[in-house]
Amino acid sequence: MFPRLHFAVCFTAVLGPTLVHTLCPDTADGYKVRLSIKTALGDDAYKWDESEMFLFRATLAFAMRKYNQKPYEVSDVLVCNETQRVSFWFVVTDPENTSELISGKDVERAVRISRNRINNAFLLTDETLEFLNIPPTLAVPAESGTPPWLIVFGVVIGVVGVGIIALLISSFIQKRRKKGVTEGEEEDCEEEACDKGNGVSHPVEEGADGVNRGFVGDIPFTKL
Amino acid sequence: MEKESRPSWEQPAQFVLACVSYAVGLGNVWRFPYLCQMHGGGGFLIPYLIMLVLEGVPLFYMELAVGQKMRLGSIGAWSAISPYLGGVGIASVVASIYLCLYYNVINAWSFWYLFHSFQEVLPWAECPLNSNHTGYLDECRKATATQYFFYRETLNITSAISDGGGVHVGQALCLLLAWMVVYLCIIRGIASTGKVVYFTATFPYLVLFVYLIRGLTLHGALNGLKYMFTPKLEQLANPTTWINAATQIFYSLGLGFGSLIAFASYNHHNNNFERQAIAVSLINSSTSIFACIVTFSIYGFKATLNYESCLERVKLLLLNTFSLAEDTINVDNITYWITELNKTHPNQFADLLPKLESCDLEAELDTAVEGTGLAFIVYTEAIKNMPLPQLWSVLYFFMLLLLGLGSMLGNVTAVTTPLRDLRFVTHYLSNETTNGLVCLFCLVLGLGFTTRSGNYWLTMFNDYGATFALLLIVLIEIISVCYIYGLEQFAKDIEDMIGHRPNWYWKIVWAIVSPLIIIMLFIFYIINYIMGGTPTYQAWDKDLGQSVTTPYPPYAQAFIILLLVSSIICIPLSALYTYCNRYTDKTDTLPK
Repeated sequence: MFPRLHFAVCFTAVLGPTLVHTLCPDTADGYKVRLSIKTALGDDAYKWDESEMFLFRATLAFAMRKYNQKPYEVSDVLVCNETQRVSFWFVVTDPENTSELISGKDVERAVRISRNRINNAFLLTDETLEFLNIPPTLAVPAESGTPPWLIVFGVVIGVVGVGIIALLISSFIQKRRKKGVTEGEEEDCEEEACDKGNGVSHPVEEGADGVNRGFVGDIPFTKL
Repeated sequence: MEKESRPSWEQPAQFVLACVSYAVGLGNVWRFPYLCQMHGGGGFLIPYLIMLVLEGVPLFYMELAVGQKMRLGSIGAWSAISPYLGGVGIASVVASIYLCLYYNVINAWSFWYLFHSFQEVLPWAECPLNSNHTGYLDECRKATATQYFFYRETLNITSAISDGGGVHVGQALCLLLAWMVVYLCIIRGIASTGKVVYFTATFPYLVLFVYLIRGLTLHGALNGLKYMFTPKLEQLANPTTWINAATQIFYSLGLGFGSLIAFASYNHHNNNFERQAIAVSLINSSTSIFACIVTFSIYGFKATLNYESCLERVKLLLLNTFSLAEDTINVDNITYWITELNKTHPNQFADLLPKLESCDLEAELDTAVEGTGLAFIVYTEAIKNMPLPQLWSVLYFFMLLLLGLGSMLGNVTAVTTPLRDLRFVTHYLSNETTNGLVCLFCLVLGLGFTTRSGNYWLTMFNDYGATFALLLIVLIEIISVCYIYGLEQFAKDIEDMIGHRPNWYWKIVWAIVSPLIIIMLFIFYIINYIMGGTPTYQAWDKDLGQSVTTPYPPYAQAFIILLLVSSIICIPLSALYTYCNRYTDKTDTLPK
């Protein structure tokens, strides 16, 4: 029994890394991840190292747990083909059967559900933490009840409408007043400058001899 | 004897500001910078200024003189010059009506954009999401967010002029508001207009100045300015440059619509319009140049932004394909890396080649845009990238609104003044009612431009409604003033009004130079129209996300001809009518 156990342990110890090798990268069930930390954070960028990778695997295990409640562990997330870019492939193994991979569709759904949490763990966004071939779930912009432009429109058209009505009413009142005045006294309006609604109109002044006095200044009349 | 004498401007300054407000319009902002760019930057100023002196100022002077002397709108004024010329005035009114119909729709768009600027995130800054929220809408991805907002959300444009589509309710509401604002400004004739123009003539300059400061401080603005000011003098040898300069001066001053005659008809008899004509023309051209500087700073900013985004995309593509660390490539060593990678990984690079964009700042600056594309797409693109975009957006669209409104006041006055000259109109209808009816009429017909295919009809009206007619109208005007009315009589009338005769320069330009220039423009226009083949328009293809040149369907081509002919035909018809009247009068008075 003991040699068999020993043999079994040796077997998995040898098989472990090769298991990773054969399972990952898997184009059907695995995904490539690309991080652009310097683009996102500039001077505050952190260095990508082993601990960050551990966080990634842990976050992904969390996402899988959230998705189908199975007891995923960090060891269920296998990572390979890391590059300087900071990109790598990952696959997720079934916690009950480590030689089987979780299907790509399930991984995709799990990631999409917890995408926001994953992004925030790394202080990144959908564009800087890319899961290739997993479409992001974009946040729906908050929609208000009435579109805001209608409110401004309503205010402006109200003000303009009030202005028009006010001007029309004042013209109407002035005409009424003028009609009442000029029914008896038609001469008065010609002496003063009446607001005839078209602008200020100055009636042409005519003297007794028919000369247009509008342009003539005050000329003292010489006594004959 | 008339009891009511003609109303007049309260101050001569109101007249000058009204002319400035009318002449300085959207064309100064969106047409002149385009021409400058097409015809060699700073060098274009040479033909522009020459045409201003030879054609712009003299014709402007002439129209003001006619209006102030005759003290009637365009129909009455030209009938007074010669009874057979009443048709010229009618043609002006028809051209003005066409302009009124569609010009206010552009103001409606300005209102729309203005109201949409009061949001935390400008609606043209980002594409809307698609139905399952995995990305952006297709049409928006293929075009840009600003183009999408203009063509889809603002216009909801169809793919061809034959696809009618219903009325866009938001546009119809904005058009209603635009006409209400116009009515408010002209409700009592020039008593109202005279007060409004203090604001509409001056505020745009304030905004332009603020934009100048903002524009010059933008990153990359100097690229645009350098591009504009390096003159490409070889363009001066191209006749199209001179034609375009003459055409721009002509249309920019708003000659031939009858608005100038209408405004001048309310002047006092002794108003010195000679100085005012020169002043307004110079102000109009300076504003064009000023707006050009602002536009080119914005162009420079936008081109630099696009160029740098292009470089970013190329860098990302290289990083991702060859999995290099993020900070190995930056904008400075990108060309070095391209050659490096081509050497070290030739196969991979060859696969990459179709996706690799070539980024060129000159090419970005060369993309010249004019018209609504410049005002509503290019500018909004630049604004959304500025800090505090809502403020800049509000300022910009408010300025566009004032420029458009100022021109509208002139256009509507050109229609209402001849109407008010008609005895029976003044007798039965008050001023407010006449103005209201004109506005209502234009509003109802203008609703046709708020349909989904409305933009196509608007472009048609813009290109054909008044352009040809105006050339003919102004040509007939100048010839009839010089040769039918008589240059000597005209000079005497001017002396009567302002105290001195126009000097030899004006007389030569009126009698010979200006008519020659207009005849040249006229011939060029006809040649262009005939040689141009089937007239085409830019249809928005929502699958491709860009505009596609499409020929007009036959009924649209027939309508174009109708537009071209309808205003001009008034001239011979009216002359014929007067002739027939006179002939029957003569035969009536023959001794029996």
